Amino acid sequence: MARIEIPAANIAFECPENDTILRAALRSGLGAPYECNVGSCGNCQFELLEGQVHSLYPAAPGLNERMKQRNRHLGCQSQPLGDCKIKVPLREDYKAKILPARTHGALTRMRDLTHDIREFRFRLDSANAFLPGQYGLIGVEGVEGARAYSYCNITNVGDEWHFQIKRMPNGACSNALFDHIKIGARVSLDGPYGNAYLREDAPRDLLCVAGGSGLSPMISISRAFAQSEKLKDRMLHFVYGGRAMRDLAGEDMLRELPGFGTRIHYHAALSMAEPEWKGRAGFVHDAAKDVVGGKLADYEIYYAGPPPMTEAITRMAIENKVPVGQLHFDRFY
Amino acid sequence: MSQTIELCKISEVDEGSAKRVEAHGLSLAVFNLNGAFYVMDDACSHGPGSLSEGYIQGDNIECDFHNGMFNIKTGEVVEPPCLIPQKVYKVTVKDEAVFIET
Repeated sequence: MARIEIPAANIAFECPENDTILRAALRSGLGAPYECNVGSCGNCQFELLEGQVHSLYPAAPGLNERMKQRNRHLGCQSQPLGDCKIKVPLREDYKAKILPARTHGALTRMRDLTHDIREFRFRLDSANAFLPGQYGLIGVEGVEGARAYSYCNITNVGDEWHFQIKRMPNGACSNALFDHIKIGARVSLDGPYGNAYLREDAPRDLLCVAGGSGLSPMISISRAFAQSEKLKDRMLHFVYGGRAMRDLAGEDMLRELPGFGTRIHYHAALSMAEPEWKGRAGFVHDAAKDVVGGKLADYEIYYAGPPPMTEAITRMAIENKVPVGQLHFDRFY
Repeated sequence: MSQTIELCKISEVDEGSAKRVEAHGLSLAVFNLNGAFYVMDDACSHGPGSLSEGYIQGDNIECDFHNGMFNIKTGEVVEPPCLIPQKVYKVTVKDEAVFIET
């Protein structure tokens, strides 16, 4: 067990040698900044003032050479080699609403949603709840490092974590999940993480925009919306983007929700649609704007998908004067 | 209704540097560029960076988190990865002190 001290905040926390500094800080209830948890975004970087750390991912894209020369390290990939002193900007809004915890789970069910998106359901050894829109880390035997996947279910208990996962062409973890893992197989699980969760107190209608496996968190948010007493007078528009008709997903799950067709609406846009497609053509962000008649600033906007999509939506929201506090998103790397 | 808030004395911010000031629930970065004062939100619009700890290059501030850059005078994005302009405030200097209007 290492002791990690943040002198500027006059705070210290314990970090087991096999945990990472970011995750141990969050487990201790500290508001350490982060976003992706897998070495890509750079939000969790800290300055190492004293001590030594081991990086699980030395080539992580989230930290460039200049930052390394300033003695910066990625919290999500750094394991302490003994006690350390670090400098990191703690912020209230990064504090975990539900403390993340490590456990294991067994695969109980799989279901194909499209040609490359499959739902995987795990039963946890030790339950931990999550908020709709958050994600967990899955570690599969034989695959280096854990991967972040968003939950698609909703739960008060957290004994079941369900994920809708897209097979990535060169993705070691997603390919292992799609090709090798069998019912009953055990994986390591860690969570919940993420700040793009449903805000039930926000006094606006919801716009949920999903691309690819961004489906998963938007389904979770929609399911929670359908049940939420606080949001019962609100409307939700769900906009899903894919390339072609074989990518379409989500409508069947929304149809099962009370309020579908009255206050929950599904829309799809295809960027490379076949001639027989009768729905919306083009990019999902353009479709989302069209769905709400251009009045983006009237909505609480949740979105998840590949970085070009999330960037396009962020840009569009800024151009349309949407206050930044109404944007909730996760970039999937 | 707009109000005027005193942030600091001009002597507290050296030329070519920045200082972080907490006032009225706001966390602000006060810049001194060649004797002229500029104020923007200290928290970077993109990530967890604190702009008062960034690197001043001409009229721009480079965030020390992701190396994005904003114009100190206008808040406009000069270099990605930031997308959202930084909020800037109207500044007045009176009796050797820096004030903003909110």
